[in-house]
Amino acid sequence: MSTIGTGYDLSASQFSPDGRVFQIDYASKAVEKWGTVIGLRGKNGVVLAVEKIITSSLHEPDAGGRIFTIERNIGMAVAGLMADANYIADIARQEAANFRQQFEKPIPLKHLCDRVSGYIHAYTLYSAVRPFGISVLLASWDETDGPQLYKIEPSGSSFGYYACASGKAKQQAKTEMEKFKFAEMDTETLVKRAGEIIYRVHDELKDKNFRFEMGLVAQETQGTHCINHELYTLSARNAGESAKDDDDGSDNEGPQ
Amino acid sequence: MFRNQYDSDVTVWSPQGRLHQVEYAMEAVKLGTATVGLKNKSHAVLVALCKPLSELSASQRKIIPIDDHLGISIAGITADARVLSKWLRSECLNYKHSYESIYPISRLITNLGNKMQTTTQRYDRRPFGVGLLVAGYDENGPHIYQVVPSANYINCKAMSIGSRSQSARTYLERHLSSFNDCTTDEIICHGINAIRGSLSNDELITKTENLSQLNITIAIVGENYNKFTILTDEETNKYLEMANNSNSLDDQRKPTEVVGTSGSDDDPKPGPSDSDPQVAVGTME
Amino acid sequence: MLNNYQSSGYPLWSNGPTPGGFYNFTGGQQTHKLPSELVTEGPYGTKRNTSSITTGSSVLGIRFDEGVMIAADTLVSYGSLARYQDIHRVFKINNNIILGGSGDFADIQSIKRNIDQKMIEDQYYDDQITMKPKELSSWLTRVLYGRRSRMNPLYIDVVVGGVDKQGVPFLGNVDLRGRAYEDYVVATGFARHLALPLVRERKPADRDFTAQEASDLIRKCMEVLYYRDTRNMSKYTVGVCTTSNCLVEGPYNVNENWTFAANIKGY
Repeated sequence: MSTIGTGYDLSASQFSPDGRVFQIDYASKAVEKWGTVIGLRGKNGVVLAVEKIITSSLHEPDAGGRIFTIERNIGMAVAGLMADANYIADIARQEAANFRQQFEKPIPLKHLCDRVSGYIHAYTLYSAVRPFGISVLLASWDETDGPQLYKIEPSGSSFGYYACASGKAKQQAKTEMEKFKFAEMDTETLVKRAGEIIYRVHDELKDKNFRFEMGLVAQETQGTHCINHELYTLSARNAGESAKDDDDGSDNEGPQ
Repeated sequence: MFRNQYDSDVTVWSPQGRLHQVEYAMEAVKLGTATVGLKNKSHAVLVALCKPLSELSASQRKIIPIDDHLGISIAGITADARVLSKWLRSECLNYKHSYESIYPISRLITNLGNKMQTTTQRYDRRPFGVGLLVAGYDENGPHIYQVVPSANYINCKAMSIGSRSQSARTYLERHLSSFNDCTTDEIICHGINAIRGSLSNDELITKTENLSQLNITIAIVGENYNKFTILTDEETNKYLEMANNSNSLDDQRKPTEVVGTSGSDDDPKPGPSDSDPQVAVGTME
Repeated sequence: MLNNYQSSGYPLWSNGPTPGGFYNFTGGQQTHKLPSELVTEGPYGTKRNTSSITTGSSVLGIRFDEGVMIAADTLVSYGSLARYQDIHRVFKINNNIILGGSGDFADIQSIKRNIDQKMIEDQYYDDQITMKPKELSSWLTRVLYGRRSRMNPLYIDVVVGGVDKQGVPFLGNVDLRGRAYEDYVVATGFARHLALPLVRERKPADRDFTAQEASDLIRKCMEVLYYRDTRNMSKYTVGVCTTSNCLVEGPYNVNENWTFAANIKGY
């Protein structure tokens, strides 16, 4: 395969002979270097959860948050470059504000997803810019549409999900997710599962410290997106800790 | 020196998902002299090491006041810092004009980050080659933010950037738990002692003996309408003296004991090719 | 703050494509154009409307020891026609600001939309910082003065009230020219003439009103306004903001009593 180093991978506006745009693939590579991000869509709400890798004890606990509020009822979680994440959060907020100004109601998530993915896609077309090194999860809950969850890739393509993951341990997280039927799940359990998955996929050997962060938008929160909701986050962290302990326990028993 | 294929400009991702131009810009920060930012529960303090560019020049300005409630300390390309500080000042002024109140630090820094991000994504721009430590005070208390050329910003308990700043960070990490309850005098002394760690050995020997030669600038901002102020030379000398005498800081580096700081990953190392990235040529599978 | 509402972003380069928008390769010469209503000239220059159409009448605000109260009736008139009779003109902005609006109701709604957007911005920064009444008042001053300077004023007269972080009450008025002042009692419209003296008369020299006194005065004043101002009606709402709570109460009805009408002679 003619790939790296052949000169076809230096610009977003250039195809390789076998029909790939390598700059987009490389941008996706960047996403996988950062902590895992998951989104779970339950019966009455959506939870976004993040494994935030702590790189220095000098940082405040809230430094480098990967979960954003875009609208009253829309949350966003991002895996990838923090600077790109902040920037796209700003773009998404502008889109939401724009829509609200024109129609006096919150933007439907599908519409927001279309707009933001269109924006991200535009950065994959020209050599003058680079693709965004982020993968974006969007979540919302409202009375009419219920829970919704979308993911946007660095290529600008987007899909709706029942559960999805991005970042370092994307594969393991997917394996964990496939064990459950999230669509039937109440918010209480959903939150716990989120905690369990993030704590399970965290690799202590590679990154020592991490902070579990969570965004929740559900019927229980009156359709407001809450970042690190006190009770639910505590419940998720506890579920995660005990899941981790269980795993460690069974690992020890394994060889016997 | 081998030229990496993927470092030509900021719009090129390397196959490993890295942005070499941004990483190089981060190196620029390490060329500037060290600066330290730290806070207790009521005040935020910046301490910066100033070196004259030549024997004949005055020492460079490391701390730039932005508004009454915040200021920045810089390491890297000074000219880039002037652009950023000009922008920060006008933002604060606009905010003050609109709302007759102070710009919340976290929001200002968020917007600064978004401004800087665009320079990391377009071929006609280069990232800002400067790192900032922002010290500010708003209704949520004192803040220290670190801003880096990759347009990341980090809310910090304490931080140090610039050349040989690793030893300063080690000092800060060691004393981190005590900072919150420190008095203002103590926190300034901690700042001075931390920055002392970033001095090279021979500097340390000559300058500990003669205090006034340790050319530092100290700035403080905090509660009770303590506006962002850069301390005068007399006050600075007072604190230098105080830091020197504070026996609580027994682990302070003594010049004679120094055996080269280990673990300072950002010490300028000899050899031109050291900081170059791995040559990214090969096949994917 | 959101920097740019007009489009979804800046062009990637000058005259270049805008992300999220369609790029027209031939139409690259677009420069900033003023909206047509600003550049279209009539035979004697540009004329703009100089009056309001659908209007709300008086708003009355009283500051008391630990908060503020703002009251307005629920009528929005179309000229002398009592067109809309169940419209709230006192709004809760956030947990420490209430706002009462009089003047052109479309302009009030428009400015309210902008304020609501600001509250959402406060929410998404997620830093527990919310706008204070003084800040909103200042911002309104800048907006309204800016509009009048461009000869295109918003025809509104608003009362802003609330408490700041330390629990200190704030009550102020901003009008269509961007004039602003603070006081323990502010009023717009006819209440300036009818209610203001009634409140000032009862102000103890050595202390603030209590909540009860303020509430009684509001009821009294709304009654007087109903009797004397033809653009008033008997139903009104009251916004109350203290450190502990912030809400719009009502609608209430004034104590109508028309028995004296029989004795009025000479009209």
